[in-house]
Amino acid sequence: MTLSAAQPITELLDAETVQSIADEVWPSLVGDGEAFLPVPVPPPAELVSAWVDIIGPWTGSVVLTCAPATAEALTESVLMTRPPTVVDDEDVADALGELANVLGGNIKSVLPGESRLGLPQIGSAPSRGRLDDVCSLVGQWRGNFLTITVQGAIAAPHAERNEVPL
Amino acid sequence: MKILVTDDSRVMRQIVIRTLRQAGYDDHDIIQAENGRQAFEMVGAEQPDLVLSDWNMPEMSGIECLEALRASGSQVPFGFVTSEGSPEMREKAANAGAIFLIAKPFNEDTFKDALDGVIS
Repeated sequence: MTLSAAQPITELLDAETVQSIADEVWPSLVGDGEAFLPVPVPPPAELVSAWVDIIGPWTGSVVLTCAPATAEALTESVLMTRPPTVVDDEDVADALGELANVLGGNIKSVLPGESRLGLPQIGSAPSRGRLDDVCSLVGQWRGNFLTITVQGAIAAPHAERNEVPL
Repeated sequence: MKILVTDDSRVMRQIVIRTLRQAGYDDHDIIQAENGRQAFEMVGAEQPDLVLSDWNMPEMSGIECLEALRASGSQVPFGFVTSEGSPEMREKAANAGAIFLIAKPFNEDTFKDALDGVIS
C-alpha cells in the first residue's frame, strides 16, 4: 500500500469504525450499559471540545464535542459520583480529555503507518483542514448531543512540547 | 502488596484503582504518581511491588520511566495501562522489560488476564 501525506481521513477510516471504537469505550469508561448511539439530535448552542492530535502519515485530531452540561454528566458517570458529590471544572476537563485520549489512541491504532499521539487538550475545537479530510460521527448519550470528529490538520503541526515519542 | 498507579489523569487513576478492586485485587496498598518522573522517584522511596503506568505523560513518559528504572538497576515488575496498544508499542514495552500492556478501554477481565500470576 502506498501512503501519501495528502491521503484524507475518509480514505483511511469510516464512521462505522469510529462507532465500533465508541462501542467499546463507552461501557468501559462511562459505565456499564452506557452507549454512544448514532442518532443525531440538534446540537446545542454552547459547545465544549476535548481532543488529541495524531501526528504521522495522517496528521490531525480526534475531537469529542458536547454541551458543557453533557460534559459534566459524562464526568459524573465516569467517576460514578452520586449527589451531593459534585464534579469540578478540573474533573470535567480530565474526564472529557481522557475519553478523547482513549478514542484517539484506538483510532490511531487503525490508521496505517507509525504515528504519535499528543496529550489531551480541552476548549474550542481546533480548526478543520480540507473539507474531505473529516470523518464525523454525530450521536447521543442519554439523549444528549455528542460528536466524535476525526479531522485533518490545516497544516502539519510542528513538534509540540506535549508530544511524546513512541 | 504495594501497587504504584501512574497516570497524569486523576480520573484514569481512579478508574484503574476501581478496576483493580472489581477484578478482586482489593486488599493491596495503592499509591499514585502523576507522571513518569514522580513514579521513578516513588519506586526508590516507596519500594512498590508492582508499577501500573500510562505511556503518554508530560515530564517523563511511561517508557522513559521504565528505561530509567532498568538503567538504575531496579527490577520492579512494570506493566503499561495505555490508550494505545499497537504491535510496535507492545514490542517496545516488552524489550524495555514490561511484563504486560493493557490497552484502554479495559474491564476487570482484562486486568485479571494480565495480572493473575503477577499479583498474589
